[in-house]
Amino acid sequence: MKLTVNGVEHEIDVDPRTLLVHAIREQVGLTGTHVGCLTGDCGACTVVVDGQTTKSCSVLALSAEGSAVETIESLADGDDLHPVQQAFWDEFGFQCGFCLPGMLLTAKELVESTPDPTDDDILRAIDGNLCRCTGYNTIVAAVRKAARS
Amino acid sequence: MRYTRPADVDGVTAALADGDAVVVGGGTMVVPEMTHGRVRPSAVVDLAKAGLAGIARDGDGWVIGAMTTYTELARSNVPLLATAARGITGGPQIRNRGTVGGSASYANPSSDVPAVLVALGARMRLARRGGAREVPAAEFFAGAFRTAREPDEVLTAITVPDTAAAPGYVKFKLVEGSWPIVTAAALAGPTIRVVLGGAAAAPVVVELERASWRARLRSEVDRLLTEPWDDVLAPGHYRARIAPVIAARAVAGALEEA
Repeated sequence: MKLTVNGVEHEIDVDPRTLLVHAIREQVGLTGTHVGCLTGDCGACTVVVDGQTTKSCSVLALSAEGSAVETIESLADGDDLHPVQQAFWDEFGFQCGFCLPGMLLTAKELVESTPDPTDDDILRAIDGNLCRCTGYNTIVAAVRKAARS
Repeated sequence: MRYTRPADVDGVTAALADGDAVVVGGGTMVVPEMTHGRVRPSAVVDLAKAGLAGIARDGDGWVIGAMTTYTELARSNVPLLATAARGITGGPQIRNRGTVGGSASYANPSSDVPAVLVALGARMRLARRGGAREVPAAEFFAGAFRTAREPDEVLTAITVPDTAAAPGYVKFKLVEGSWPIVTAAALAGPTIRVVLGGAAAAPVVVELERASWRARLRSEVDRLLTEPWDDVLAPGHYRARIAPVIAARAVAGALEEA
């Protein structure tokens, strides 16, 4: 199949049961997208498919053929962090970092669609992303800061 | 496992004709079920390119394509269904991907969609090779994870008639990431209809008179809810206990809207 990730088309071999997250990590070789629960709960595998955040553990790789997939690797420009990444850095919005790729892409979708989100908007936006380190307060602060920048 | 992604409904029904394929809509339920080995299909038919997404007006109602996502529904004006879509658990990633047709076909008792469709008097459009039929939502939901859909059929659309009745929707769950424990979808018109989800294996329809609804609600729910749904989230006796409370809140909400 052909899988387009971050604007680059990759020709890869997949079993029909292969999940999008595994194709991205193991065939394409981009390991920034994490595998958490594989049940669609934790959000660590969040990617953007055709402009919308999606949990890539709940998508068959073949189903993404012809779609534009964006992963966490698309955010920074070399050493220059994306403003959402910078806000998470500044506000200590992560500790171990496992949930971070999903948090960042979800936060990016929120701040791009909702210019001045309330804390309720932020909590609602990240309710499909689990973090087991921070207690969420620094994450909410980071998203708030990202929205302002 | 065979995988096909037909470009239209005829392609889907042809792929389903043998009756051994699993239909994948958004995939948010069935793909994890496959990952964990609880569903082991010999063939998968992916609806992603079959042209089944979107909401349209048709005469005195709405036609909602089976592949319409919660995100699209949440932006719509379809009564009750738009409200329920906004509250779907799992984050924007799930609402961007999960579909109304997928939820209806999966028929998890603890999900929002079945009771809402029954409350609205929705009709389910099913297609199979060489034919199509419509089934009222109240008959479609046959039990826990069981619908009137046959293995060679696909749910293509859901029609929802316009209503002058005022809507009220309440979903009760104990933690943010949980499936609902009990939902209640109410429509208050000349009479009151409130449909309970999560309370039993299939939606429970309670019809009440406007003048006496508050006095009659509890006994009607008790009478109709003979076999409350029992799962890891909540025991049946708990659901039976809270069902009339959630129903009353939904009706009160609808009457405030009216």
